[in-house]
Amino acid sequence: MRPVPGRLTAVTVVAVAGALVAALTAPPDRLQGNLQRLMYVHVPAAWLAYLSFAITLGASAGWLWKRRASLDRLASASAEVGVFFTGLTIALGSIWGKPVWGVWWTWDPRLVTTAMMFFVYLGYLALRRATLDATVRARRSAVFGVLAFAQIPVVHMSVVWWRAVHQPPTVLKPAAPTIDEWMLAALLANVLAFTLVYVVLLRARIRLAVAEEAYDAAHDGAAGELAGQAITTPDYRKEFPNHV
Amino acid sequence: MSEWAWVALGFSVAYGAMGGYAVWLRHRLSDATRRIEKIR
Repeated sequence: MRPVPGRLTAVTVVAVAGALVAALTAPPDRLQGNLQRLMYVHVPAAWLAYLSFAITLGASAGWLWKRRASLDRLASASAEVGVFFTGLTIALGSIWGKPVWGVWWTWDPRLVTTAMMFFVYLGYLALRRATLDATVRARRSAVFGVLAFAQIPVVHMSVVWWRAVHQPPTVLKPAAPTIDEWMLAALLANVLAFTLVYVVLLRARIRLAVAEEAYDAAHDGAAGELAGQAITTPDYRKEFPNHV
Repeated sequence: MSEWAWVALGFSVAYGAMGGYAVWLRHRLSDATRRIEKIR
């Protein structure tokens, strides 16, 4: 079974290659030099984490309204991919932070709120695994998926609301972006490439969810047959012919 | 480490993680498919 269509994968590979070239040929930063190139993977990963959880929010709200299994699958798949991108954001931020700030980690508001977001959505995935009934699982995780999104604006605005080591937003802010045109183009190329990677991963995760549901259904059916045999009343006259 | 070494580390982690996650998803999918066929 192929997890994703070949054409989408091919387009994604081309986009990633183009984005990589753009990231490595964009002009270096005046203060950070070439270290600033880490922005081209760190920032798209963070944006994709936001997008993933926004999709989870929309699909969760949609499930509460329409009660469609496909929306539950979309919400859970996007949450798992979102947790992946959040973890990647933290790891890449750490790799960028060490040479620039001198530390792998600091208790900065942006870092702390991002870590909280990571653990909250890990909790979402744990909640799904802890609930066996499909409808109860979908309802609980849909409510969780809607409520958990409330922290995303806090994560994004944390560098504005509180004094922080992390730099404030340069693109997603009310005023015009304060970034060089070539750097902005390279950044957008990487955001596009990462978004395509997200779509590839999301489709693969949804297909996995469908396969897991089919397995559960087949497994429950087989288990039901076994249980049915186990509770069948034995024929005592046959089992104990001498019993009075 | 030089600036380019940090850049290489960051890009390797980013693309390595995405590739690794894609391979893991593919492995989980083929594993689930195999288990379904075993039951049926």
